[in-house]
Amino acid sequence: MSQYLRRIRLAAQIFSLCLFVFLFLQAVYPYHPFFPVQTMLQWSPLVALLTLLSSHHVVAAMWPAALILFLTLFLGRFFCGWVCPLGTIIDGFDYLIRPKKKLLSSSSRFRWWKFAILTFVVITAIAGSQLAWVFDPLVIVNRVLTVAIFPIFVFFTEAILGLLWNVQFLDKTLFGIHRFLQSFLLPLHQPYFRQGGTILVLFLLILLLSGLGRRFWCRNFCPLGALLGIFSKYRILQRVVSEQCDSCNVCYFNCRMNAIKADCLSFNKVECINSFECAAVCPKGAVTYRFGWSPKSSPIDLSRRRFLTAGAVGLLGVGLLGLDFPDRNKRGSLIRPPGALSEDQFLDRCIRCQECVRICATTGAFLQPAWLEAGWEGIWSPVGDARYGYCEYTCNLCAQVCPTGAIHLLTLAEKQQTKIGTAYFDKSRCIPWYSGDDCMVCEEHCPTPEKAIVFREGEFVTAHGKVKKVKYPYVIEERCIGCGICVNRCPVEGKPGIFLTRDGEQRY
Amino acid sequence: MRVKSMGIEFTRRDFLKLASSAGLGIFISPRLTSAVFKTQAEKKSATKVDIVVVENGSPAEMVQRAVSGIGGMSRFVKQGNVVVVKPNMSWDRLPKFGATTHPEVVAEVVRLCLEAGAKKVKVFDRTLNEPRRCYRHTGIQKAVKAVGGDVFFMYKRNYVKVPIPKGIRIKSWEVYRDVLEADVLINVPVVKHHGLTRVSMGIKNLMGFLGQNRGRLHRHFDQKIVDIATVLKPQLTILDATRVLLRNGPQGGNLQDVKWFHTIVVGTDMVATDSYGAKFFGFQGSELGYLREAHARGLGEIDLTKLIIRKINLDKLNSAEARG
Repeated sequence: MSQYLRRIRLAAQIFSLCLFVFLFLQAVYPYHPFFPVQTMLQWSPLVALLTLLSSHHVVAAMWPAALILFLTLFLGRFFCGWVCPLGTIIDGFDYLIRPKKKLLSSSSRFRWWKFAILTFVVITAIAGSQLAWVFDPLVIVNRVLTVAIFPIFVFFTEAILGLLWNVQFLDKTLFGIHRFLQSFLLPLHQPYFRQGGTILVLFLLILLLSGLGRRFWCRNFCPLGALLGIFSKYRILQRVVSEQCDSCNVCYFNCRMNAIKADCLSFNKVECINSFECAAVCPKGAVTYRFGWSPKSSPIDLSRRRFLTAGAVGLLGVGLLGLDFPDRNKRGSLIRPPGALSEDQFLDRCIRCQECVRICATTGAFLQPAWLEAGWEGIWSPVGDARYGYCEYTCNLCAQVCPTGAIHLLTLAEKQQTKIGTAYFDKSRCIPWYSGDDCMVCEEHCPTPEKAIVFREGEFVTAHGKVKKVKYPYVIEERCIGCGICVNRCPVEGKPGIFLTRDGEQRY
Repeated sequence: MRVKSMGIEFTRRDFLKLASSAGLGIFISPRLTSAVFKTQAEKKSATKVDIVVVENGSPAEMVQRAVSGIGGMSRFVKQGNVVVVKPNMSWDRLPKFGATTHPEVVAEVVRLCLEAGAKKVKVFDRTLNEPRRCYRHTGIQKAVKAVGGDVFFMYKRNYVKVPIPKGIRIKSWEVYRDVLEADVLINVPVVKHHGLTRVSMGIKNLMGFLGQNRGRLHRHFDQKIVDIATVLKPQLTILDATRVLLRNGPQGGNLQDVKWFHTIVVGTDMVATDSYGAKFFGFQGSELGYLREAHARGLGEIDLTKLIIRKINLDKLNSAEARG
């Protein structure tokens, strides 16, 4: 029975990781998922809590997060041990590198950190800045998959195919293989993302923490784990040790969460993630799990002093962020996805999971994770970059996959009339304006039914005083929706002859 | 159709010499004879017509009648041939907006090719919006698959640099390999407005076969597109004028700009068919710069009065199927 439980847990872990990756791969055009690809991101109670606190808005689709919290009251941190994809990846990594047990494996010294971090993010959320995007494990995994791991995978697959392509007789076969891979896995074009390096390095750091001890991130830093830990304080799924136990300490050393005391008998309800490892490794078969109420709870590892400090740091942080720029809503010239909420609300809701960025990469490839363009608070939030791509006129997929409703879902007809910015000609760069030669690439691509770029014939005087006729392009401001395809396709190399600003943008 | 590397650098003077002698020869001899025997040829056989125009039927039926009027698909496609059919599916637009070839027209062409014994009929285009969207929303992917054609996305490694010995502005350009390896090339453009060439038809449609940065073609476009046409010569051109986007091309998006003509124009001379297509806009072919250029370089006839044009009116407009 004890081996059984462990195997079921392992199967559940692999299943949920596979489900996560499967949903991730489904976030492409054409978009016909079995169920919405953002579903698993909506399971995170941390995201639900923090977006609720900062934006004062309940995202109805996040009800599973409430269900998970409710179940945690009885089962404990099953989410960490059974579902969390980051936990599974860390477990796998731990298995690979087999961290030395002596090092910080059995140390509880840093455990309070995760409660301090939770306090910090809750306080910042209440004070008006949502930081779930930094710490939430589901978001971390989705983000690194999107901007780093998947593009790297595509790059190497294409590179290998490209090498083999040079072998003359192979090309027909390879073309077939390529077409097959494209039908379910490979995108038509290599996705390019900014910030891939930063995000990958931070992810690797989380994995490398395992060098200090198993599940080091989960035990010591994950605020979602802390939140679930608080809810499992009085859990009724109990670890029961029979009298056969001779305190051999095998379970104590094998517990990846360090949740068992050295006497082998008592366990920490807040830290246990139901991996059932202890039951499986016990040489006497003395460990079982049973449901039963016990008033005995485990303490939360956070002293009052540390609690207050973390809260104070949170308040100070929000204060500093608030002093960063006078008005959140007026910041910069960023282009946000069509249907984005007002900048203030947008930052409170957006968890930087990159779901919109990923699906956009398979259509217009417009959205990119920001770095500091939107301030510290806006790191990795989606911004449109017309040099990478453009907002596809017949597409509203970014809103369809947003897990928190930071992008309001508009119908296609509404979206096609929603202005996300305005284009302006740079007359010192645009070909007709500076050289007097006709060019019409931007006009040709302009997707609005009444074209927002129109021509007016005029005279051009060359440097040598020659006069010639030329079609000058103009932007009709009220027709321009700011999709950026003109900027994207402008044949002027370097700085394009037309640029995009967020002037006139509509927010929801 | 294979293009072999010639490795010869032409100077302008060389070109002019060659073009004047060759062009004169090409231009004079067949035209002269055809002009002399025109009336007799007309009476003798329907296969001698230059252009067949079919009006007022369902897209598929019009294609069928037009192709049989020009001599039947078996005149071009032989048993076991590999055929490339090139529709315009450049934009992420629904068929009704007239920015792309009508899916029923494309499907019928593919079907006729297969019927004539083609081993494989390939359909692809280098699109301007995201390819998956364009293939889907134009309805062409689905329609062609349904009749057994092979629709696929172009692969960036599959382009071949092709020398353009007769090119004035460009001396070589990348062309998709399947085009070069095909036995038969059938061009199925849609007739529509275009900001640069005024009307986009057959010759403009060849751009969908090209690799590299096509934006660079837009300066001195008329000459460059004709340079391309000197190496890519479809055996058959089928103009889709079922509906014509008259303004705001090449992409459209406004139903008010679309007019239904219920017409299919078929011909073997890509300059002649384009010249006929200009009529939908009330132009003469000679008003289009690139057509003048193509004609001057001996790629085909621009003057419709020198051509034998057969018109067929199916007169079925009132039936529901003809409404497309």
